[in-house]
Amino acid sequence: MSTGTVIGIDLGTTNCAVARSTGGPVEVLTVTQLTGPGELRDEPLFPSSFYIPGAKEFAEGTTALPWDDAPQFIAGEWAKRRGVENSSRLVHSAKSWLSHSGIDRTAPLLPLTAPEGVSRVSPLDASTAFLTHIRQSLGDAGNAQILITVPASFDAAARALTEDAARRAGITNFVLLEEPQAAFYAWLERHDDWRQRVHAGDRILVVDIGGGTTDFTLIAAAESNGELTLERIAVGEHILLGGDNIDLALARGVEQELAAKNVKLDAMQLHMLWQRCRAAKEKLLAPGAKQAEEPVTILGRGTGLVGGAVKAVLRRETLEQVLLDGFLPAVSREEQPIRPKRAALAEVGLPYASDPRITAHLARFIQQAGTPTHVLFNGGVLHSEIVRRRIVETLNSWLPQPVQVLEGEDLMHAVARGAAYYGLARQGKGIRIRGGVPRTYYIGIESSMPAVPGFPAPMKALAVVPFGLEEGSSVELPRTEFGLLTGEPAEFRFFSSVARREDKPGDVLDPIPPEVEELSPIEVTLPTAAEKVTRVTLAADVTATGVLELWCVAKDGHRWKLEFNVREQTQ
Amino acid sequence: MSRIGNAFSSFFGILFSGELPADVAKEYGYIKAPEVKKPEPVKPAPKMPEIKPADGALQLLGILQRDARLVDFLMEDIGAYSDDQVGAAVRTLHEQCGAALKRSFTLAPVIDGVEGTYAKSDAAGSDAKQGLKFIGNVPAEGRAPGGILRHKGWKASNVDLPKVAPSVNLSIIAPAEIEVE
Repeated sequence: MSTGTVIGIDLGTTNCAVARSTGGPVEVLTVTQLTGPGELRDEPLFPSSFYIPGAKEFAEGTTALPWDDAPQFIAGEWAKRRGVENSSRLVHSAKSWLSHSGIDRTAPLLPLTAPEGVSRVSPLDASTAFLTHIRQSLGDAGNAQILITVPASFDAAARALTEDAARRAGITNFVLLEEPQAAFYAWLERHDDWRQRVHAGDRILVVDIGGGTTDFTLIAAAESNGELTLERIAVGEHILLGGDNIDLALARGVEQELAAKNVKLDAMQLHMLWQRCRAAKEKLLAPGAKQAEEPVTILGRGTGLVGGAVKAVLRRETLEQVLLDGFLPAVSREEQPIRPKRAALAEVGLPYASDPRITAHLARFIQQAGTPTHVLFNGGVLHSEIVRRRIVETLNSWLPQPVQVLEGEDLMHAVARGAAYYGLARQGKGIRIRGGVPRTYYIGIESSMPAVPGFPAPMKALAVVPFGLEEGSSVELPRTEFGLLTGEPAEFRFFSSVARREDKPGDVLDPIPPEVEELSPIEVTLPTAAEKVTRVTLAADVTATGVLELWCVAKDGHRWKLEFNVREQTQ
Repeated sequence: MSRIGNAFSSFFGILFSGELPADVAKEYGYIKAPEVKKPEPVKPAPKMPEIKPADGALQLLGILQRDARLVDFLMEDIGAYSDDQVGAAVRTLHEQCGAALKRSFTLAPVIDGVEGTYAKSDAAGSDAKQGLKFIGNVPAEGRAPGGILRHKGWKASNVDLPKVAPSVNLSIIAPAEIEVE
C-alpha cells in the first residue's frame, strides 16, 4: 500500500470492523479469521471474542492462522462460537474491562470464571490480541495511517491503555478517534451535499447504541472566516447498556413463560433462546412487518431435532412493552437515571448500567450538554424504526423545535468507514471536527482541616486540564507548586467530569461535587537527587495521537511524566 | 494453488461445468487433447497428490449441520411428530440452511424470467449449452429456440467455501458432544 493509504479500525465491544481508503472512496475490508476448527474465512466483521484453548482441546494444526502456525489463543468468529459451548474460557467485552477503573487492567484476570490452571489474560492483553490479529490480517500495510476508534466516554487512562495496546500490536503510525465522531464522519463521507444540510449554529446529537454500550456526543457547527467548522462540544458518560440487554430481557420473558409450562432449558438452550429471540425481534421490527407474533423454536439437543424442539412465541405486544416501556420509556426532560446504591462489598465485575432506561440517560446528557437541532443514529439497535421513532419523539417532547434526523447507513461499518474518512481529513482532504479532551480533569488535594478520628481528611479538586484541550496543545499551571520527595513514588488522586465544562486550570472545587468522578490515581517517581525535596509545578499535554499526558515540571525545566496507575484498585 | 484449493476447484469444476478446470488439469499433468500432440518422449507420470472430490461435499455437509443441523433433521424419523411440530422446527432450519447456502454459494437463476410465460433459449446466454433442458414436444434435433419457462434453473456463479487446514478430518460431520458435569 502506498503513502496516503488510511485504515480505520473500529475496535468494538462486541465486533471489530476495518475500512480503508487509498485516497478515493472508503471500502470495507474483510478480516481473515477462524470460523471453526481449521476453517479460515474472510469476514466483514471480526467478533471481539477471545478464547483461551486448553493444551489438548483442539487437534494439532486446526488453530493455525496464515501468519501463526500455533497461536496461544483464538480470536474472532470461532472464539465466539466456541465460547457458547465453553464460556469459562471466553473473554468478551474486553473493551469494557479496559475502561473499568475499579480493577487492575494490566493484570491477568480474564475470564473471571476460568477454572484453575487456565492462564488468564489482562484486558490490555485481549485488546492487544485483537489489534495484532487485525494488523496481521491486513498484511503489509506499509506506512498506512491507522485510525483506531475509542468510545467518546473513555477516560484518559483507558485511552492511554488503548494506545499501549496498539503499540504492543506493532502498530506505530496511528491516531485515536472517538466513535461518535467517526459515525458523523461516515455520514459526511456519504453525503457530498452536507453543507446544504448542516449550517452554522446547528448542534448534532450522535446517538450510538451498540451491542453492549450506549454513547452520546454533541457536535456544534459554527462559522469561522466564512468557513463552516465542526466542534465536538460534549460527550456523555460511559453507559454499559445496549442491544444485548434488550435481547436478554426478551429471552428472560420467554423463559419465564416456558417455565410456567414446566419446560426447563439448559445453558446451551438458553443461549439458543437468546439468539432466536434476537432473530424474532429483528423480524417483528423489519420494515413493513405486521405479524402479531413470531415463533421462537428451540431445536432439540442431541440428534433428535424435531422431537426435542421447544416451541414458544415472541409477541409484538411483549416486544413493544420491553422496548418502549423498559428501555425507551417516555420520560421528562428533568429525568435522572437511577444511580446504583454502592454496596460495601461489590463483586468484581463490569459496572453495568443499573438503570436500563436509555431515554433517562439521554435526558441527563441533554441537561448537561444542551439541546440538539439534528440527530444522527449509529449502532445495530437503531436499525429498528420503532426505536428511532421513540428517541425522536422523546427528544421533540423536550425541545422547542423538532430535531431533524440525519439518515445514516450501514450502521455496522459506519465507525470504521468514518475513521478512514477522518484519516483523509487529516491529510487535508475533508473537514475535521475539532474536539480535544472531552472531560475536565482534576487532581485531589487534601483540605487542611483538623483531622477527625475515623474520617479521612476531606478532599478538594484542583482543575488541571480544561475541557476541550486540543491535540498537540498543552497547558501549564505555574501556581500549583508541590514539594515532591525524590526517589519515592508520589501519588495523586485523579478526578474528571464530563458535565463541568467551564472549570479553568487552577480552579478549586471544595467540596467535590457529585458530577465529578474519581478515576485511577496518577503517580510519578522523581529520580534520587542531592535535594531531598524537589519543587515542581504541573503541566498537561495532549499528544498528536489524542492521548492526555500529565507532567511534573521542575524550575530548571526538567519534566517527569505522571503515569496512570491502572494497576491498583480504587475505591 | 493449494491441494485443498485444487480439490475444490476440480470438484466444482466437474460438478458445474463438466470438466476439470484448465489450471488444475495443467498442474497435475492432465493436458488437454490438442496439446497432447506435442512430439515429446513419454515421461513417467509425475507423482500426483491425491485429489479427493469428496472433500468439498463433506465440508459443505459439515457446514450445513453446524449452522443449521440439516443432517440431524434429515436423519431423524419425523413420522411420529405432528405437522405443527415439524413445521416449527423447519422454520428455524429453513432460515439457517438458507443463510449457510447463501454464504457458501452465489446462486442465480439460469433464466431470470417469469415461470409459466414464454422464454427464448437465448435468454440463458453463455449457459445455453448446458444450462437448458428441453422437455415436452422436443424437436428432432433436441433443441428449440424457445418455449414456456417451467423452471428458471439455478447456477452457482461463485463458490465461497472456507479454506480448511490439511489436518482437519472432514469425514467428521459433527463431533459427538460430551458435557462435563
